Amino acid sequence: MTPYLGKRVPRNEDARLLTGRALFVDDVQLPGMLHAAFLRSDHAHARLQSIDTTAARLGPGVVAIYTADDLGTYWQAGPLLVPPPPVPDSVFHVCTQVPLARDKVRHVGEPIAMVVAESRYLAEDALADIVVDLEPLEAAVDLERALDPGAARIHEHLDSNLAAHVHQQKGDYDAARATADVVIARRFRYDRGASAAIENRAVAAAWDARSEQLTIWDTTQAPIPIRNGLARMLGLAESQVHVVAPFVGGGFGPKIMMFYPEEMLVPWAARQLGRPVKWTEDRHENFGATTQERGQIHDAEIALGRDGRILGVRDVFLHDTGAYDPYGLTVPINSQCTLLGVYKVPAYDSAFSAVFTNKPTVTPVRGAGRQHGVFVMERLLDLAARELGIDRVEIRRRNLLAPADFPHDHGIIFQDFTSLTYDSGDYLPALEQAAATIGYERFVRDDQPRLRAEGRRVGIGIVNYVEGTGIGPYEGARVTVEPSGLVRVATGVGTQGQGHFTAFAQIVADTLGVDVGSVRVVTGDTREFHWGTGTFASRGAVVAGTACRAAATTVRDKALDLAEQRLGVPRDRLELAGGSVRVKGDAGTSVGLGDLAAHANPLRGAVTSGVEPGLEATAYFGPDRGSTANGVHAMIVEVDPETALVRIDRYVVVHDCGHLINPTIVEGQIQGGVAHGIGNAFYEQLIFDEQGQIANASFMDYLLPLATDVPDVEMAHRETPSPGNPDGLKGVGEAGCIATGAAFAQAVEDALGGTVEILEIPLSPNRLFALMREAEAP
Amino acid sequence: VKVAGTFTFRGPRSVVWELLQDPDVLSKALPGTRRLVRTADDRYEGLMKVGLGPLTAEFSLSVTLADKVPPEHFTMHIDSKGGLGFARGTAVVDLADAAEGGTTMTYGSDLQIGGRIVSVGQRVVDTAARSMTEKGLEALQRALDERLADRSGER
Repeated sequence: MTPYLGKRVPRNEDARLLTGRALFVDDVQLPGMLHAAFLRSDHAHARLQSIDTTAARLGPGVVAIYTADDLGTYWQAGPLLVPPPPVPDSVFHVCTQVPLARDKVRHVGEPIAMVVAESRYLAEDALADIVVDLEPLEAAVDLERALDPGAARIHEHLDSNLAAHVHQQKGDYDAARATADVVIARRFRYDRGASAAIENRAVAAAWDARSEQLTIWDTTQAPIPIRNGLARMLGLAESQVHVVAPFVGGGFGPKIMMFYPEEMLVPWAARQLGRPVKWTEDRHENFGATTQERGQIHDAEIALGRDGRILGVRDVFLHDTGAYDPYGLTVPINSQCTLLGVYKVPAYDSAFSAVFTNKPTVTPVRGAGRQHGVFVMERLLDLAARELGIDRVEIRRRNLLAPADFPHDHGIIFQDFTSLTYDSGDYLPALEQAAATIGYERFVRDDQPRLRAEGRRVGIGIVNYVEGTGIGPYEGARVTVEPSGLVRVATGVGTQGQGHFTAFAQIVADTLGVDVGSVRVVTGDTREFHWGTGTFASRGAVVAGTACRAAATTVRDKALDLAEQRLGVPRDRLELAGGSVRVKGDAGTSVGLGDLAAHANPLRGAVTSGVEPGLEATAYFGPDRGSTANGVHAMIVEVDPETALVRIDRYVVVHDCGHLINPTIVEGQIQGGVAHGIGNAFYEQLIFDEQGQIANASFMDYLLPLATDVPDVEMAHRETPSPGNPDGLKGVGEAGCIATGAAFAQAVEDALGGTVEILEIPLSPNRLFALMREAEAP
Repeated sequence: VKVAGTFTFRGPRSVVWELLQDPDVLSKALPGTRRLVRTADDRYEGLMKVGLGPLTAEFSLSVTLADKVPPEHFTMHIDSKGGLGFARGTAVVDLADAAEGGTTMTYGSDLQIGGRIVSVGQRVVDTAARSMTEKGLEALQRALDERLADRSGER
C-alpha cells in the first residue's frame, strides 16, 4: 500500500511560507543585537598598503571595527572543501579565501574590514570613514590572457595563474579521428552569471556566556559542516555550537560554499562582544561577495562516420575559477563528464585548465558545469547533423546508449571520485516522446516552411542531457513516534525550497501507515540531527530521503515487535495503517502508534536489555555512487528579425528522475530550473571590464527573465528506477537548467535558417543582433 | 571613462591659463566641488559631491599638475575616492590661440573608475562625465567673462 509516494501531496510548508510565518535568517531579532557591515574592495587587484580605522571608530553607535590584524590567530585561509579527483598527473594549486584581506585584494567585493554597530545604518556610515590605501595592480580578467606569461599574478607564490590541469581519456581518440569520415571542430564559449537567489546570504549569531553556547542562524546549504568547522576554528566543542539553517530563499549552490568570510566573522564577533550580531547581504554586495559560476572556453571536435555515429570527441577547455578555488574542481569535472551525455562515445580525450582570475570565486551554481558539457556536445551534434545531411533527432537516435548498456561505465572519474557509471536509463523513448509532444516532424515538415514563407523566423530545438545526481558520502535521518501519535523526522540537510518537509513526510507516512499531515519534518538544525553533509548535487531526496525510509522502516519493525506483545498476535498477521498497528482483516483489533510509543518509554518496569527506548530509530544512507537522471528539452522559438528578441512559444521537458515522490514538487523544480536556464541562455551575463570591475551589479542592468519570458513548461515524466536505492529515486534539482542553453541555441539557429552559428551562451538580444548583422554583411 | 573634446573660450589664452590654475575659480567651476585648496605647488586637494543616476556621494579629490608649459599645456593626475568607488587617471589640456582673440582648449581624459559608480552607475557614467564637463566649461567661460569685465573696469 503506497498512498503517498508518487502522489501530488500539497506541500506541508507552503501555508507557513505563503502567509509570511516562516523564519528566515533576517527575521532573527534578539535583544541587544548589533549589526555588521563590511568594507569591500573597489579594486579587482590591489596591494593593501594601510588601513586607518581611527576616525571610523569614533562614529556614533560604532561598537567595534575589525581588520585582518585584529583577528589574531583566528585569521586563517578557508578550507579546501573538495580535494582534487584522483586523476593521475593532475595539477592542482589550493588557494582559498581569507576572512579579511591582509596584503592584497584579488576581486571586487573582497572584504577588508568589518564594522559592528548598533544598527546597519550606523555600521554603513562608519565604512565611509575607514581610510584604506590600496595600490592598484594590473588585473588578470580575460580567461585566456590570464595564462600569458606576462599576466598579472594573482597568487604570487605560484608560477602562473594556472589553478589546475586535468586530463582524462578513454579509448584512442587519434585513432578514431584517423578513421573518421567527418571531423568538426569549433570554439565554444559559456560565460559567467550570478545565481541570483531571491534571498541573499545572511548570518546571525548569539553567544550565551552562562550556558557557553553559540547559536548561529545561517543561510547555508550545509549546516552541519558549518557547525563542525566553526567549532574547530573557535576552539569550542561541537556540542557548544548550534547552527540553524531555517527557511532559505533559494540556495542554487553558492550557499554550500564555506566558509564565507562573513560566516567566520559574525559568530566570532558575537563571542568577542558578548552581544548578538547579524549581517544580511544586500543585493549589491551579493554580486561581488557571493560565489558565481560559468566562464569556460572549449576547443572541441567530434569525429564521426558518414552514418552519423560518433567515433570520438576531443575537448580542451579553460575554466575560470575566479580569485580562489575552495571548491576544488567540481565544476570543470562535471563539465568534462557531462559532455558524454546520453551517448556512446568510444573515444574521449578531454583536458582542462582551471585559471585564477581577478573575479569573484567560482563554485557550483545549479547545473554546476553540467550545462557546459551538454552545450558543447549537443552543438557538435547539430553541426554534424547539418554537415552529414542527417536529421537532428535522427543523429541523436543513432548514438544513444541502449537499455542493455546499463550500468554504463564511461571509464573516467566523476565529481564523487568514483568512475563515471550511469546506473540506469532508457533514453530512446524519452527522445521519441519529446519529439512527439512538441510535434517535431510536423513542425519541420509543415509549420516551419509555411511560417517561413510568411517571413517569420521560427525554429525548433531538441537536445538530450544527463544529470549525475544523488552522490554520497551519506545523509542520515531520525524518525520518532511521539506518544501523541505525531511523527517527528529530523535530517541534517538544509532546505532552500525543495519541498523536503513534504517529500520526506510522504516517505515516512507510507512506511508507518500514518497521515502525511501528522509527520513533522525538521531540516537544517544541528541540535535536531548531528550528522550530515548538506544539500547539493541534486541529492536531498535520493540520499536523505532513503535515510528517512530506512529509519522509518526500523521504527515500523519496532512497532510491530511491541504490537505483537500487546495484541498477542504474530507480526505476520499485523499491518500498520491509520496511525495504528492492527490485525489484518480485523481493523477493530489494533493499538495506536502513540500508545506503543508510550509503552516503549515506560515510567516503571524495564526496557529489555538491547532494546532502545522509545519508538524511534536513526539510519544512514551512503550510496556507492550517484544515480543518473536524464531528459530531453525541446522548444519552439520565434526570432524578431528587427529587434533580435526571441520569444519561446513552446517548451517541452521529458525527464526521467526514477520514481517520483511527488510530481508537483518535481514539476516545480523543472519549471524553476527552466526559468534559471532561460536566464542563463538569453538574459543573465556578468560584464567585467578590463580592470575586473563588474559593470552590471544591480538588477537594473543584470537582467533576470521575467514571468512573461518564461513559458509554462509542458512536462512528461518517465520513471526508470535507480537500482542504487530501494525507492528507485534519482535527483531532479538541476534538470531544468542543464539543457536550456543548448536547446535555445539550436532553436535560434534553426529559426535563422542556418545563417548564423550560435557557439556561445549567454546570448542577449544585442549579441544576437550583432551575429545576425555579421551574417548579413557581404 | 574617456572624455575628449575641444572648447573655444571667448578670451585670451593668458587669462584662460590663469583661471585653470586658480583653485578658487576651479572650485566654483567644477560641478559639485565643495572645497579645493592648493596644498603645494601644482597640487590641489578637495572634496566633491557627485550625483550619478540614483547615487550621490562625496569623493575626496587630489589633483597634481605636471608637464606644465605655460600658457599652452599641462597634464593633471587625478585621484578621487569615496564611499561609492574611485576614479583615477590623467587628463591632458592644450591651449591654442583662436580667431577673434579666443582660446581653443583641447582636452582629453582617461579615467579608470571602480566600485559602485561602475557597477550600478555604468549606464549613466558617460553621460554624467560629459554633462559635468560641459557644465564645467560653461562655468569657466562665465568666470572668464567676469575676470575680463573686472579688468576692463580696472583700466
